[in-house]
Amino acid sequence: MTALLRAESVTIRLSHTDIVKGASFSLARGELTALVGPNGAGKTTLMRALAGLIAAQGHIEIEGRPLAEIPQRERARMMAYLPQGNIFHWPMPVDAIVGLGRYPHGDPFAAPTDADKSAIRDALAATAMQSFAHRAVTTLSGGERARVALARALATQAPILLVDEPTVSLDIRHQLVVMELLRKAARNGGGVLAVIHDLSLAARFADRVLVMESGRITAQGAPAETLDPARIAEAFGVEAQMLPFDGAEIPVARRPL
Amino acid sequence: MTTQMSAAIRLNLALLTVIVVLMAVSLIVGPAGLSPRTAIAALFSGDGPAGIVVRDIRLPRTVLAVLIGATLGLSGAALQGLLRNPLAEPALFGAPQAAAAASSFTIAFGFASATSLAVPLAGIAGALVSIGGLVLIAGRRASLAVILLAGLALASFAGAMTALVLNLAPNPFIALEVAFWLLGSLEDRSVDHLMIAAPFLIASWGVLFVNARAFRALTLGEDVAASLGVDLLRTRLLVVIGVALGVGASVAVAGSIGFVGLVAPHLVRRAAGFDPARVMLPGALAGAALLLAADVAVRIIPAAIELKVGVVTALIGVPFFLAMIFSERRMLEGSPS
Repeated sequence: MTALLRAESVTIRLSHTDIVKGASFSLARGELTALVGPNGAGKTTLMRALAGLIAAQGHIEIEGRPLAEIPQRERARMMAYLPQGNIFHWPMPVDAIVGLGRYPHGDPFAAPTDADKSAIRDALAATAMQSFAHRAVTTLSGGERARVALARALATQAPILLVDEPTVSLDIRHQLVVMELLRKAARNGGGVLAVIHDLSLAARFADRVLVMESGRITAQGAPAETLDPARIAEAFGVEAQMLPFDGAEIPVARRPL
Repeated sequence: MTTQMSAAIRLNLALLTVIVVLMAVSLIVGPAGLSPRTAIAALFSGDGPAGIVVRDIRLPRTVLAVLIGATLGLSGAALQGLLRNPLAEPALFGAPQAAAAASSFTIAFGFASATSLAVPLAGIAGALVSIGGLVLIAGRRASLAVILLAGLALASFAGAMTALVLNLAPNPFIALEVAFWLLGSLEDRSVDHLMIAAPFLIASWGVLFVNARAFRALTLGEDVAASLGVDLLRTRLLVVIGVALGVGASVAVAGSIGFVGLVAPHLVRRAAGFDPARVMLPGALAGAALLLAADVAVRIIPAAIELKVGVVTALIGVPFFLAMIFSERRMLEGSPS
């Protein structure tokens, strides 16, 4: 079976510096993959290249087709991208923001179709934002905005979801809600690549983990194989302790080394 | 969704009604002192001196006010949508000044008469350079500080070019004529002026309206908009061309009229749900109503010399702009760059 997304020897150069150096991995259907690594490792740059926003050397393929050869709008239907920061420039209502996820589907002047409306409804329901549908997005709290942004990405119903730090600024309950949502999106046949800073969340929810250090992917595989104290010490400079959790072990950061 | 849609339709209908009423007033009011009944009769019959006054003097002026006002309102809405900023407006970036400099150059040095096609073409070229330069400098992040500084520089440069034209004008009469025309006026505009400007103005509407949905997607920032399938380069290019066409042609026939592009979209933004795509049509209609109202006002205000409409829009627009800056102060101070 062809991978949903495959990257081979991807190198990204920004202002004369290699930010990502020869990254190779693939994203399988039905899997939630966590991309972890210290600040400045090149995670966001890699995500932006996968989303087609910046040029990269090497090969990036979506469902077996080279990324560069897929027209922009078709690519937008195959892949939803949620960057950090959740920017909303105008105080538009939440349902209109989530409706932007349907942008790649309709023709520019057509009214929203039934498919659009049900996708918006489902996305609002999945993120528990229905009661906020008519609120101006700028009046919401940080956590609520993060859920609106995720709902917008979900509304595209793209098979590939690229999310950059989706749990930042969320309280612990909504962190779990979002991680469950991402896992559910993967279980429904999609492939999710999420930048996650919280290693215990990554270990609990991800099917696979990519560890990135100074532009290189240094480990990939199941959480138990990748997130052990030795590798965490090397990648993050942190002493970690493994604690038993639901029949497995998850890492908890103990102190900086 | 449907309630929003019908609210938008109501808003547009209300604005259309205002425009129709103002158009009627504009045909009735003027120094010839025709009674409303005579003016309306003369519009339809075209007979006698009254017919000439209404059909050849007031009608082109009225239609130009509507077309130019709509163009300026739409240009403001489009620039605000592209740059995601309610303070964007062509006049702040020197577009009318640049268009005026280029147009007055062609007139002052006798390259063309005031009603030849060369004047709007020069105006469009001038506006193209200034708006194109601005969008180029603003770049991806379109930070407010960069936009305003670049706009200030471009506007100052365009002003200097106009001053240079006045300085080098072959004789004082031409200099005076150019100076008056720079103030912005719809006085004594003929059907010829209308015919020269209208195609460019209407073309600019088409070029700008195409981007409505892109502006809506841009509310999420350029990265997300691009990931949703918005062609950013094409959008920027279309806005630059559309604004240049509209502002350049407006300035070429009516001189420099500022602040309609800032005020008009602001007046309708709340009613349009802050959606930059839905602001466009009512923004254009509000622009038409504003300019028409200002042009009626200059004819009603008793003054020894008729006020220029560009002076009136600036006198109203600048305090309005300051009030907007004041109310957005917190956002402006909080802006990271």
